[in-house]
Amino acid sequence: MTTLTVGKLLSEKREFFEFFPLLDNIGYEKNLTNSLTHRPGLALAGYMERFAHSRIQVLGQTEISFLLSLSDEQLEDRMRQLFSFDIPLFIVTKGMVPPKKFLDHAARTQTPVFQTNLSTTELITRLSIYLDSFFAPQTTIHGSLVDVYGVGLLYTGKSGIGKSECALDLVERGHRLVADDVVKITKKATQVIVGSAVEKLGHHMEVRGIGIIDIEKLFGIRAIRLQKRVEVEVRLEAWDDKKDYDRLGIDEHRTTILGVEIPVVVIPVSPGKNITVISEVISMNHMLKVYGENTAQRFIQRLSEEIARRRTTFTYLEADTE
Amino acid sequence: MVEREVAIVNRLGLHARPAAQLVQKASKFESEIKLKRQNLEVNAKSIMGVMMLAAEMGSKILIIAEGPDEREAVEALAQVVQGKFGEE
Repeated sequence: MTTLTVGKLLSEKREFFEFFPLLDNIGYEKNLTNSLTHRPGLALAGYMERFAHSRIQVLGQTEISFLLSLSDEQLEDRMRQLFSFDIPLFIVTKGMVPPKKFLDHAARTQTPVFQTNLSTTELITRLSIYLDSFFAPQTTIHGSLVDVYGVGLLYTGKSGIGKSECALDLVERGHRLVADDVVKITKKATQVIVGSAVEKLGHHMEVRGIGIIDIEKLFGIRAIRLQKRVEVEVRLEAWDDKKDYDRLGIDEHRTTILGVEIPVVVIPVSPGKNITVISEVISMNHMLKVYGENTAQRFIQRLSEEIARRRTTFTYLEADTE
Repeated sequence: MVEREVAIVNRLGLHARPAAQLVQKASKFESEIKLKRQNLEVNAKSIMGVMMLAAEMGSKILIIAEGPDEREAVEALAQVVQGKFGEE
């Protein structure tokens, strides 16, 4: 797992967070291990049960004015308690300065303290966004990601099965390429995974027989997209006579990526089969399902009703000896 | 050409899942296979066609096969129907 040290946070995001270190070079080697922040009001008041000390501690106006209201003895006592915990980082907002005793104890325990000009709310918002994306679970998948009618289709399958060619064909028809060959996938929320290209590859693509091409240069800015939610996996497979493919579409097959379940469609590839058109239909059918319209299910339900009606009529007439 | 008449014996009739089973079984054979119910005749390898039959319990369908493996095909399909498609 990637780690974020206090020093790295400062050097990379100093301007964005408007950080100013109140204790130079103290505790810069400390590791931030999660994306959560905490306002230690209760801890400052002396209640240390369940104190979330491993989070970044944010001190706003309330906390600072509370500290200033304490007598010297009380403050000394609280500071001893507070700094007995291993705390990764304190951030004081609105350009305020904590009492000298606070900084003395921080220096003594090698705990970093930053000041920012941002308000507490603004700081916490920016920190959450930055840290959430920094600590988000990530993986890379061998495949292609294309935005087809606004639905993110992730093509997977063996090398040479035609993922890139399929993506190329879709781009030609006005859809947008997100990544080819290597797709970086990040979990953004409990049910959302987002794919993007690896920086080094950009929107380049290798096509058998041609070599490396640049989709943005060839097709223009409309043909690419920087990131897209991954919504359906399209698994391309060589056609296998012995295998049974889904004929009805009533059992939804699902796959799990980074703990997020998405539908998977297995498409057998054979010469002359137009995967591009099938892809567009997969996207549109997915949207229909999202909007509550499951064609396959409605169709088979109608069929079952029809069969049941025939059976009732049959039984009725059979019993009719008239 | 081989023909055999079978009765639908499962309670729910030839609905979507049994139809899919029948079609998948039929697709394994090389012969031309047709299913006939009253005057409606459909290709046994076409899922939409087989579902069109909407055969209820008690109704009879005729399996007609023609080709190199016609005998095996009719036998296999009849078994699928008589085995109630794995339903009650």
